[in-house]
Amino acid sequence: MTLALFLVIAAAIALVLILGVTVSRALQLSARTPLARNIEPIDIEAFRNLVNPAENEYLQRRLPAGEFRRVQRERLRAAAAYIRVAARNAAVLVTVGQAALQAADTPTVEAAHQLVDDALLLRHNATLALLRVYFAMAWPNPALAGAPVLHGYERLSGSAMRLGRLRNPAVPVRISANL
Amino acid sequence: MLQAHSFLWNYLWVAPNLFLLALGFLIWSRGLSRHFPAFLGFAILGALGELAVFAADVAPFVSAPNFWRVAWADLLVETLLKFLVIGEVMSKLLVPYPSISRMGRTLISGFGAVLVLLAASLAGFAHGDNPIRLISGVHLLDQTVFVIQSGLILFLFLLAAYFHLQWDRVSFGILLGLGISACEHLAIWAIIANASPSEHTRTLLDLLGMATFHICVLIWFYYLLVPEKVVRKSVVPLPENNLAMWNRELERLLQP
Repeated sequence: MTLALFLVIAAAIALVLILGVTVSRALQLSARTPLARNIEPIDIEAFRNLVNPAENEYLQRRLPAGEFRRVQRERLRAAAAYIRVAARNAAVLVTVGQAALQAADTPTVEAAHQLVDDALLLRHNATLALLRVYFAMAWPNPALAGAPVLHGYERLSGSAMRLGRLRNPAVPVRISANL
Repeated sequence: MLQAHSFLWNYLWVAPNLFLLALGFLIWSRGLSRHFPAFLGFAILGALGELAVFAADVAPFVSAPNFWRVAWADLLVETLLKFLVIGEVMSKLLVPYPSISRMGRTLISGFGAVLVLLAASLAGFAHGDNPIRLISGVHLLDQTVFVIQSGLILFLFLLAAYFHLQWDRVSFGILLGLGISACEHLAIWAIIANASPSEHTRTLLDLLGMATFHICVLIWFYYLLVPEKVVRKSVVPLPENNLAMWNRELERLLQP
């Protein structure tokens, strides 16, 4: 009986999630406005600083062990916040890029393909990096996991701007605050 | 009305499978079979299999053990076809996205392996609802298959939602129907295989299962045969004095 109850609850949760995805897809299809304004600019230099291994090593040399762990956790928390925003921006750009795939001209479609590809890769890297950052919060370590995200984000900025310029020069897609 | 072999019972067993068979032929005649061969196979062979089980149920010359043998054969064929359909939809979903295609396939394969282990463990814990192995075996296999199917389908939906992947309409409809059917059947077979429900409750559960499958067939009809509404995006007029700003942004970005 307990097993039956467990499976019925699991099946009900799965069904609710599937129907939830269906509803959100329907809402997305009916939305007509471009989402580029939902992009939150990121200070890429500040993030680069936070994930710089040399900076971490320096702090480890200069600070007592307890103090280093506390500072490192703060830095990791900040890095995680940056990565979350980067992942959110990537999700928005996937949607923007997919909308642009319907364009008639080949350069825009090619730029959109590139943007979607880069944004997906970034979202993938951001997810892995977040996991590593959370892991590192439990065990502070000088080597941070932000480098792949940083590299991906820089590429993504380029793709977004190329697509933005092709589609609508009036509204620059700016996803790095220091650009 | 809500009894075994009532008109409603017979309708719900036969009609969805006839509809599914008709859908299969429509897919074929409209040239969709090239894009969805596994679903075409499921629509035709799955429907014929279920109709064969129905025929075995009502034909007086088919003995009870033979009926269960037919049910076993149908379940095995249908299971194989459904997994092929899930694979087909997964392929359609991931192929346009090379950057996450390999990762997606690896994740789904890994999750599938975990689901197989979980479903096998759950089957091991089940005590079985019938002393005859031929019957309890079908119920347990049903439960096992639906654990794996609903898990895989849910995982695909969540993967697509997380990465904001764009579904093509037909693939989405096929997976939605399969997902609803798998979740509902999982709950039903879990109760039948583990909670020893009364005969009347079993009949009600059977009716619920068949009614849900009927709805799923209608969902497939809708997604496969009704064309999607095209949403037109508004075109923003292009101003003249922004190119310099864009160039400046790009130059800064391209600096090492």
